[in-house]
Amino acid sequence: MTVSRDQTKYLEMAHRTHLPTMGRITEMYDMTARDKFYRLELPTPLGHRPGQFVMVSVLGVGEAPISISCGPRDDNILELVIRKAGRLTQVLHDMEVGDQVGVRGPYGSGFDLEEFYGKDVLLVAGGLGLVPLRSLIHSITNQVERFGKVTLISGCRNPSEELFRNELKDWSKNDRVTVIRLVDNTENMPWKFGVGLVTDPIPGLDIDPVKTVAVLCGPPVMYKFVILALSEKKIPENRILVDLERRMRCGVGKCGHCQINHLYCCRDGPVFRFSDIANLQEAMQ
Amino acid sequence: MEKVKRLGDRPEANSSSPTISITVQGVLIMSDFIASPGEATKWLRSLAGNHPVFFPQRHGSANYRFLRVDDESLIQFEDYRPTILPPVKIIVPAWDEMLGFVNKPDGSTHVSPSVDTSFRVLAGVRACDLKGIFLMDLFFHDGVSDPYYLARRENTAIIGYGCRQPCDERAFCAAVDSLDHREGADIFLDPVRGGLVLVEARTEQGRRLLDGTDFEPCDDGPARMVGAVANRPDPFGRALKAGVEKLPDIINGHWKSPVWDKHVEQCFSCGTCNLVCPTCYCYEVHDDLNLDAQSGTRVRTWDGCMLPNFSVIAGNHNFRPEPASRQRHRVKRKFEYLPKRYGYGSACVGCGRCGRQCTSGIDIYDIVNDLAVEGP
Repeated sequence: MTVSRDQTKYLEMAHRTHLPTMGRITEMYDMTARDKFYRLELPTPLGHRPGQFVMVSVLGVGEAPISISCGPRDDNILELVIRKAGRLTQVLHDMEVGDQVGVRGPYGSGFDLEEFYGKDVLLVAGGLGLVPLRSLIHSITNQVERFGKVTLISGCRNPSEELFRNELKDWSKNDRVTVIRLVDNTENMPWKFGVGLVTDPIPGLDIDPVKTVAVLCGPPVMYKFVILALSEKKIPENRILVDLERRMRCGVGKCGHCQINHLYCCRDGPVFRFSDIANLQEAMQ
Repeated sequence: MEKVKRLGDRPEANSSSPTISITVQGVLIMSDFIASPGEATKWLRSLAGNHPVFFPQRHGSANYRFLRVDDESLIQFEDYRPTILPPVKIIVPAWDEMLGFVNKPDGSTHVSPSVDTSFRVLAGVRACDLKGIFLMDLFFHDGVSDPYYLARRENTAIIGYGCRQPCDERAFCAAVDSLDHREGADIFLDPVRGGLVLVEARTEQGRRLLDGTDFEPCDDGPARMVGAVANRPDPFGRALKAGVEKLPDIINGHWKSPVWDKHVEQCFSCGTCNLVCPTCYCYEVHDDLNLDAQSGTRVRTWDGCMLPNFSVIAGNHNFRPEPASRQRHRVKRKFEYLPKRYGYGSACVGCGRCGRQCTSGIDIYDIVNDLAVEGP
């Protein structure tokens, strides 16, 4: 009579979608008191686009979504920045070079570079938002002649929270790239750049709304204020790209946590065109 | 509201279109037989001798559950109240092992997936719960198919049973178009005139399950169904104050409404409504470490959007901090978001479980009706 079907088919599917591959930490260092940079060597190239994410695991502890911080590359290297925020990230922070970390992905929409070619690019990063945007910045600075002028506004809470300081310095050396570095408050630390919110410089920027693509990534509270400032500069909603953060457990649109109205942030995003989500009430909360 | 075009170009980019293949059990066939309830019961008992067969049973307690049929089981079609949990939870269990792992002393880790492909039969599945399973088939096939769901689902045969009376005063299956749902069943049993049961084999697997029975072939099944259905009460169960097809647009207009606050006043955010729902599929993932602290399993467990931490991210930002925002999400998900995403109608099947089992008596039927009265 009825017999159970072969397990192989399902095991192969599970292998593809739920099994982490093991990467080895080849480099890691403190970026701030709570953020660490990781370079992992994977068994095979990840083949990601800028703006995608991976699910990072320590078997026995758990799994969490982490933004990919490096631009697309042909080798087996994956770069991440991980903030200590819970049990899993604490364990990751306690690891050492040579330790194994599980990785599955890449997941999510990411950025389509074609959309940026020939355009001015305005990037607005708040806090950890610089981490995923770095994957896009690398893609741009690698072939900067294909873009118009590039402006990066990078803001964080105080000088000790700033990420990728050396790279911010390097990027600003490029003639086509303007880097605006801000802190909310110097908190009495040495700081020779601006003080204020990431929205502050926008009104003073020389923006050609016809040929500008704007990209935003930062804490939830940041989006609506930056979008207000951008719409005053007449940048159309379909050329504002937002990279959103939500709770994610699966990465493939099943576990339900990342739902923004009828969309799954993990699958339909995390990079959305603002015009597609402007009317979704939960998107900009 | 149209589906947002993905910015990316990955292969599954367009996979959430409403045209998802749901022929889980292969080619649809139809052949009818007629049996007496006694013969049908005898047949189920004989199936239970060969396979695990789950059937709604009371077993001395107040409420029904889908329990495995054994020699002691009372197989009784007519007397039925909705089971505490819907049968789909046998396919999506509360504790579902995804991976096994061993962290070796040399620092390497061995990981292997685990899937359950054991065969089982769910019998006595009512149309509302069958529609629930049909919708779950859609959800778990969307995009990257879910191997754990599929492994169980494709090794599960379903024998449905048609209702002739509302199971209780909470049911509103007819109002959300699930009373006559048949898709997804391998066999559907319908009580017809003369105290007989029309046995419809809908799939090859269903036909195989009927092998060896001496049920009489029947070629006037549709005519017998007309007679049987004509005797059902009308309305069948509770009616909604707006057509179910209008609800996505009506509810879409209600982001801010006193209705959300009214119905959430007594809510404990306990998540019972999620746990008993035949179309709630959200899950949390945990690693369960064995006592050797080296090996263990990665499991998924039911989660619920009514629970306070459901959408909390690192740094403790909560996208739905108030119970009202969570309840709005739940209602919109059933009546607006999922219908719009999949195009298969209401994702609430009207079984009434959430209202029946809510500690505070909050009923999604009342919420939706209040919104319907307010209009778009």
